[in-house]
Amino acid sequence: MSTVEYVRAQDVPGAIALVAADVAAAYLAGGTTQVDLLLKDGVGEATRLVDIGRLPLAGTEQVGDVLRVRALTTMADLAEDPVVIARLPLVREALLAGASPQLRNMATIGGNLLQRTRCRYFRDRRVTACNKRRPGSGCAAVHGPARMHAILGASENCIALHASDLCVPLVALDAVVHLQGTGGSRTVPLTAFYRVPSQRPDVENVLEHGELVTHVDVPLLPSGMRSAYLKVRDRASYEFALTSAAAALSVEDGTIRTPRLALGGVGTIPWRAREAEDVLRDAPATADTFRAAAEAAVRDPFTVPGTEFKVELAKRTIVRVLKDVSGVPS
Amino acid sequence: MTTVTANKIIGEPVDRIDGTLKVTGAATYPSDVTYPGMAYAVLVGSTIAVGRIRAIDTVDALAAPGVLTVLTHENIPSLPDAPASPFGPPPRFPLRDDRVLHQGQHVAVVVAESPEQARNAARFVRVDYEETVPVLAIDDPAAPIRSNPFGTDAEHGDVIAALASAEVGYEETFRTAPVTNNPLGLFATVACWDDERLVVHESTQWPMQARRTLAGVFSLAETAVRVLVPHLGGAFGAGLRTWPHTILTALAARLLDRPVKLVLTRPQMFTAVGHRPESVQRVRLGATREGRLVAIDHEGTAPVAAEEFTFDRMTTGTPDAYDCPNVAVRDRLVALNIPNPGFMRAPGHAEGSFALESAMDELAFRLGIDPVELRLRNFAGTHPRTGLPWSSNALRECYRLGAERFGWYVRDPVPRSMRDGEWLVGCGMAGVTYQWYVTPCQVRISIGRDGTARVACAGTDIGTGTYTITAQLAAEMLGLDVEQVHVELGDSDLPPAPQSGGSGLATSLAGAVEDGTRRLLDAFLDLVGTDDRSPLRGRTRREVTANAGRLHLVSDPDAGEPYAHMLARHDLDELTVIGEKIPDPQAPGLDMAPSGASAAQFVEVRVHEELGMLRVSRLLSVMDAGTVLNEKTARSQVSGALVMGIGMAMLEETVFDPATGRITNGTFADYLIPTHADIPDVDVVFVGEPDRVNPLGAKGLGEVGLVGLPAAVANAVHHATGKRIRSLPITIEKLF
Repeated sequence: MSTVEYVRAQDVPGAIALVAADVAAAYLAGGTTQVDLLLKDGVGEATRLVDIGRLPLAGTEQVGDVLRVRALTTMADLAEDPVVIARLPLVREALLAGASPQLRNMATIGGNLLQRTRCRYFRDRRVTACNKRRPGSGCAAVHGPARMHAILGASENCIALHASDLCVPLVALDAVVHLQGTGGSRTVPLTAFYRVPSQRPDVENVLEHGELVTHVDVPLLPSGMRSAYLKVRDRASYEFALTSAAAALSVEDGTIRTPRLALGGVGTIPWRAREAEDVLRDAPATADTFRAAAEAAVRDPFTVPGTEFKVELAKRTIVRVLKDVSGVPS
Repeated sequence: MTTVTANKIIGEPVDRIDGTLKVTGAATYPSDVTYPGMAYAVLVGSTIAVGRIRAIDTVDALAAPGVLTVLTHENIPSLPDAPASPFGPPPRFPLRDDRVLHQGQHVAVVVAESPEQARNAARFVRVDYEETVPVLAIDDPAAPIRSNPFGTDAEHGDVIAALASAEVGYEETFRTAPVTNNPLGLFATVACWDDERLVVHESTQWPMQARRTLAGVFSLAETAVRVLVPHLGGAFGAGLRTWPHTILTALAARLLDRPVKLVLTRPQMFTAVGHRPESVQRVRLGATREGRLVAIDHEGTAPVAAEEFTFDRMTTGTPDAYDCPNVAVRDRLVALNIPNPGFMRAPGHAEGSFALESAMDELAFRLGIDPVELRLRNFAGTHPRTGLPWSSNALRECYRLGAERFGWYVRDPVPRSMRDGEWLVGCGMAGVTYQWYVTPCQVRISIGRDGTARVACAGTDIGTGTYTITAQLAAEMLGLDVEQVHVELGDSDLPPAPQSGGSGLATSLAGAVEDGTRRLLDAFLDLVGTDDRSPLRGRTRREVTANAGRLHLVSDPDAGEPYAHMLARHDLDELTVIGEKIPDPQAPGLDMAPSGASAAQFVEVRVHEELGMLRVSRLLSVMDAGTVLNEKTARSQVSGALVMGIGMAMLEETVFDPATGRITNGTFADYLIPTHADIPDVDVVFVGEPDRVNPLGAKGLGEVGLVGLPAAVANAVHHATGKRIRSLPITIEKLF
């Protein structure tokens, strides 16, 4: 019988030890969608789930100009956090644009960071060609109806989207992930946490087996910075983004300072748009600048029939959010 | 009505009498039923679209914990074909042979002691397929085409000549996406044999047809089969056929001699119980410059599954929609390797209306005539094919009141002329006519010694309020309070009723209740006909009124007595009658055409100019449904249909993988039905007079609210953006 063993962890070191000792073990927490993957879709690999839901890993704490968000903080709680409301409006907007109220009540920040792709070719065990599940088997999604797939960081090997809304502002803000393993703790910038599929779509991030996300440090926006998260989708609620963008910047005398920009709905990983930031930095806050930044952000997309429209839609999404945060009229 | 009643209950917005049961979780849905010793079945679906099963290896599945049996085409007994229904042959039975004709076709049934064990073991059923190339595209030249499959292609007048000579011509092609019914309640079957009697708790809209199917397949008398469905978590047409999973569950129960339960999974709801097929439609119009239609030519093509039949006719509403002397309609089916389409709320009509009502909007725009005015100029004041007057028809009032209430004439009719910040604003409308459908129905009505009534009927309440309107009808006609009427539904042992479908049950049932209450009052008057102690002795129904639990003379309210007294004096526990309605639209002397409901739909949309996002911001449906039996449940039903129309217009599409035929979005995270945030305030207004043919003057309104909505949205999108979108759903990539 293909059983999945359920274990409730008693403390953090115990949880880590349990998972680290078993290559087929995985953490279970809100938003990891392990139940969907294992029981409904039949595509999960784990045979032992270590439930960390009752560990003391929830809540936030302001440390100087950083908000420390523990991994089991729910999306709903983080969206109502006073520091998030006051200092990280783009994070709040992304949280409230994600999932549904019921899911936000259950999903955790750690689970959100580590959510698996929604690719319906990945999540269907009848599909044999999936490099994420079976390295080297190919990618069936590139031939299929693909409007919910990625165009950046994608290739013929994999076009699976990282569908998180929250991670888009977090990469824009240079959030830092804190990891704890059997050998100790380390930190990884979120921008370096995910790996584009390239030749190894099955390797999605830099986590070592058994490492646990304990918290995420989110730098607060300096005062004077304006920020926004814009999500484009057909359904007004509970739909993943076709395109989205998180932006933060300030404008001094018509000149853009310290721009931050990241994209969702288009990347195999939460997509920091550094080339666009280079265009924006110290440039005049004009529609032309924004369009040039958008062109830089979506350079060399990999498209298939069904995702071609996302190239222009993503650019327009960028322009729109930059206009919003800079106060430039349409 | 021939019985004078004192209290007005019919039409009142009475709360659902089953509401408390439902919100407290006490209502029993088919999936809630359990029996001692019950086993659980899980379906194994094919993972190819077409081919043969070379071998099925069930050894490991059978060895898995708790497994009782694994049924496949290799080990089940041969069963007779299910009988046809009035709407065509039964679905193909998949375990008849080794052939696979669509993705997800049932290839095995695993039965175990628990649902978890069955689901676990289902993964160990290994099927070795010999796969061939599927035919999946509606325009694939390899796909077999069936012309005029319904025998309904028709023409009146000379369409070719009229199109050729028309002052203004129009021709466009429209496409609608396949969509799936998706009732929230997963379909379930619980089958239990007791000797040669079969009891099935079944997600069905039609217990009598389910009974007939099971009796036929298992060679039983129909009375040896009982189908129960007191409550159903929606169906929207998916429950109008008895699908193979029902037969397989009953078969498993028989072979194991144990009750067996099967509940479909959400992905299986996409492949096992039908869907609204995609369509390709060509509409040609001919008109005068003043906007009088001279020709309509409507051709519809939709897929059907290989070796299957479906009754989904895109042109169904076109011949009677407008006053036009030359009309031709043609339908074709294209056989593909897809799960069989079935009925989905306003089947064919919803898709056909999108094409025709979009075309009318385009014609209005090209002619420079207001869209409402164009429809008024072509209003069919009499039945277009027979010239008979309608039994009722307030469509013009729907247009007039709708335009006024919506502020239609306040808008600037020029496309792209209205905006609200970054959002382009547009208004659109569509006219709707719907076919008449009433069908035979019986009810049993009793009044007992406690003075309360019981009404019983095999028909189902699929969530629309059938319990409540039945109680209202009986209460008013018998002079009782709604709380004094107990209603039993959803049991094939009760008097036979038609399906809850085709917008026909409420009207059919109303006729049967009306007839039954008359008979019951007659029975009471007969009872006391020679009773010296009764003030009603020797009286006829026309002389009496039912009120407050008693009958009394119209002329003297004090001369009367309660039902309970009459029963007690005659030492009876109850009086019971059967009421019946047998409609006959061709009855001799009926010098009118029975009319269905009609409506005018008005929609305001907003389209984000840069990003293409579409949002519906206002929604008005003005509807002629004749006598409305319950203002609240009627409004709910129309509102729900409008929401479904928004889904069809801008969100819903069942996405098939073009290479394999696999459905790629068969979950509620991926298949988009409207959420609360997508729906603005919904304004539903009823107009019109009691219908002159139908019982109580009521006209069915179960489906009509959906019809016209997609066209109204598309027409509003054109007004907002200047873009004419002729394919559904209208998504961002078509608009930005």
